[in-house]
Amino acid sequence: MLLSRVADNLYWGARYMERADDTARVVRTFTEVLLDLPVGVASSWEPLLAVAGSRELFDEGHARTNESDIVRFLVADESNPGSVVSSVASARENLRTTREVLPREAWQAVNDLYLYTQRDSESGVDRRTRARFLSRVIGESQRLDGVVSGAMHRDEAYELWRLGQMVERADMTTRVLGVRAAALLAAPDTVDDYDEVQWMGVLRSLSAMQMYQRATRGPIVGAGVVSFLLFDRQFPRSVAGCLERARAALLRLPRPDRTLPAVDALDRLLAGLPASADDGKALDAAMDDVQAALGNLNVAVYDTFVRAAE
Amino acid sequence: MTMAELRTNAGMWDELVDEHGTPRPAATALVEQLELLGTVEMQQRQDLAELDIVGMGITFTVYSDGRGIDRAWPFDIVPRVIGADEWRRTEDGLKQRLRALNMFIDDIYHDQHVVADGVFPIELLEHSVNFRPQCRGASPKFGVWAHICGSDLVRDADGTMYVLEDNLRVPSGVSYMLENRAISKRAFADLFGQQSILPVDGYTDELKRMLASLAPDGIDDPTVVVLTPGIYNSAYFEHSFLAQRMGAALVEGADLVVGDDDCVYMRTIGGRERVDVVYRRIDDMFLDPESFRPDSALGVPGLMRAWRAGNVAIANAPGAGVADDKVVYAWVPDLIRYYLREEPLLANVPTYRCLYPEERKYVIDHIDELVIKPANESGGYGLLIGDRATRAEIDEAIANIEADPRNWVAQPILSLSTVPTMCDGELEPRHVDLRPFILSGVNQYVTAGGLTRVALRRGSLVVNSSQGGGSKDTWIVED
Repeated sequence: MLLSRVADNLYWGARYMERADDTARVVRTFTEVLLDLPVGVASSWEPLLAVAGSRELFDEGHARTNESDIVRFLVADESNPGSVVSSVASARENLRTTREVLPREAWQAVNDLYLYTQRDSESGVDRRTRARFLSRVIGESQRLDGVVSGAMHRDEAYELWRLGQMVERADMTTRVLGVRAAALLAAPDTVDDYDEVQWMGVLRSLSAMQMYQRATRGPIVGAGVVSFLLFDRQFPRSVAGCLERARAALLRLPRPDRTLPAVDALDRLLAGLPASADDGKALDAAMDDVQAALGNLNVAVYDTFVRAAE
Repeated sequence: MTMAELRTNAGMWDELVDEHGTPRPAATALVEQLELLGTVEMQQRQDLAELDIVGMGITFTVYSDGRGIDRAWPFDIVPRVIGADEWRRTEDGLKQRLRALNMFIDDIYHDQHVVADGVFPIELLEHSVNFRPQCRGASPKFGVWAHICGSDLVRDADGTMYVLEDNLRVPSGVSYMLENRAISKRAFADLFGQQSILPVDGYTDELKRMLASLAPDGIDDPTVVVLTPGIYNSAYFEHSFLAQRMGAALVEGADLVVGDDDCVYMRTIGGRERVDVVYRRIDDMFLDPESFRPDSALGVPGLMRAWRAGNVAIANAPGAGVADDKVVYAWVPDLIRYYLREEPLLANVPTYRCLYPEERKYVIDHIDELVIKPANESGGYGLLIGDRATRAEIDEAIANIEADPRNWVAQPILSLSTVPTMCDGELEPRHVDLRPFILSGVNQYVTAGGLTRVALRRGSLVVNSSQGGGSKDTWIVED
């Protein structure tokens, strides 16, 4: 059976890769959305820091909050552990010690991406080359996912990989929604005029735009978007969809009796949430609750698979 | 140098061409191909091979300022070629050698007949840094202690192949042998189709089979693990590679625990799981803080207890290094005659033992004609090549010898054979050695060829990758 240490590294390797991928998507989309908004509409880059959950760290090292400082911090800054370049490096560092359980091409994909981000991360800051850099990160991450899906034995290592990926992905979805909620709170009047553009941005940063339109056939409105991203199990980036896959992974791993209660708690929490976008405060608080419950799941995973064998 | 100028230089032996520039029989097809391609195309293929190496993440770790840095594995695309007939004779010689060495180790840790019969002087053991009193009386399965051996072979100017040393502790390099082949198949796909080059890929399967056979009796489907010191070890790539190829878990000391029942377990996500065979890539002294260095954080407390109780196999067995001491090396031909009643099939390099006053005097008087080697270091550190050393280096070596004579041996300076090597777009001769790997269990297995290491600096004889050496693929060709 899989070593506890390797399990821990796989889980975190998957989380870091997913984080790099998600952060790249969010930055890419944010850039596109801001370009769509007319000059004069408040266009702050600060929400990006909130999505990444790294506002405090940024403030320590920066006096200003202009575009290039924020984007560099989120994409290319090695001193920010959540930046794209750091996440890729952390994923590689974790997966370096798990090479014997991953398909060989998986390591090559991670290593290629690492070499690329080390060399070219500055091109992710410059507006003219940013989309190309971020798209390459997303593409390589998808390639890795393809290798894992297509070539990996459905063993414990695979399930831990999926588990890490799903926990991280659910976390990112709640962050994107939470920040949108915070924006509603901060300036309810100015954003209203461009409500649709902003909600399109939310969907796009989770690669959900096209699927939302196919699934709902309705207009892009706050309530519909929130409902889709929280509850639509058929969409792979919805919180409910991620939890469903996390549960399936835990069921195939040892001692699900110790880990599933944390998923049950998340399901209950989710079931009690209203699908409303009108009350920014309530949405913001709800997303905080979901993130805290994901934290509990993280602890249960660690206690069961790593600590119990000590 | 152009292709047409390839030839063996005076006083040297080139592996591909003779002194007239005529290809050696087994290398004919390769040399024709090299001439056909020309150096520009060759350089392009070399560049492609280097890209492959970076992309495949084939690395080794070097230490600088206390930090481990991953370097791409240095590889030269021009292979070294050996005829299959010569190789079969070499293979027989290596098997013979390992049979005798294993009998010697087993004898040393039991009744020491070899000492009683006056073949091997007991005082050598008393000073040996690789003799482990903790291993006395232990009886590993089949009487085999050195399950995996990497012996270094060199060819002198007259074409004779010598065994330079046997690495019986944790020899490394076999993963690079396998990777080199993967890369050279891409670079010379055409030649692999045209002639019979013996495959090397069977090694990991043979290794796995051999390791499984070591499991304690009565265990049907044994759990084999590879024990590594961790990611900062220079050979970590290889540890991971071998574990991967064998489908074995790659464990660190902290992943293992010895239970109250004296059995070894690994910590898994499902709880503790019994381990039957440990392929360890950690030196003896770090294996078990209860038996060896108490400050070792790399090992597993109680591992020796479990091994002595027969509850786990360790490969190579603790204490096997007693026979890879460079002083013991000088006795190997005698050991072959003593244990097997056979003449050695492979030549030993004449070796002067500084332990003996007469031989020590010879060494000091002729130091500029000799290679001085520490008896127990590996990796080429402390090596002195007499005719290239400065006066100060020689004085320091003499002082070292006189301070601790047992720790030093000396051998004549062999002129290592050469193989043409891509150097800045041109082919130039560079010195090589060869490390085949020998597996010993119930049966024996020798790799088809081995890892050819090449000294990339002009004139250099030091082939270690930690000191500027590179490597080549090795082709055993049916002629």
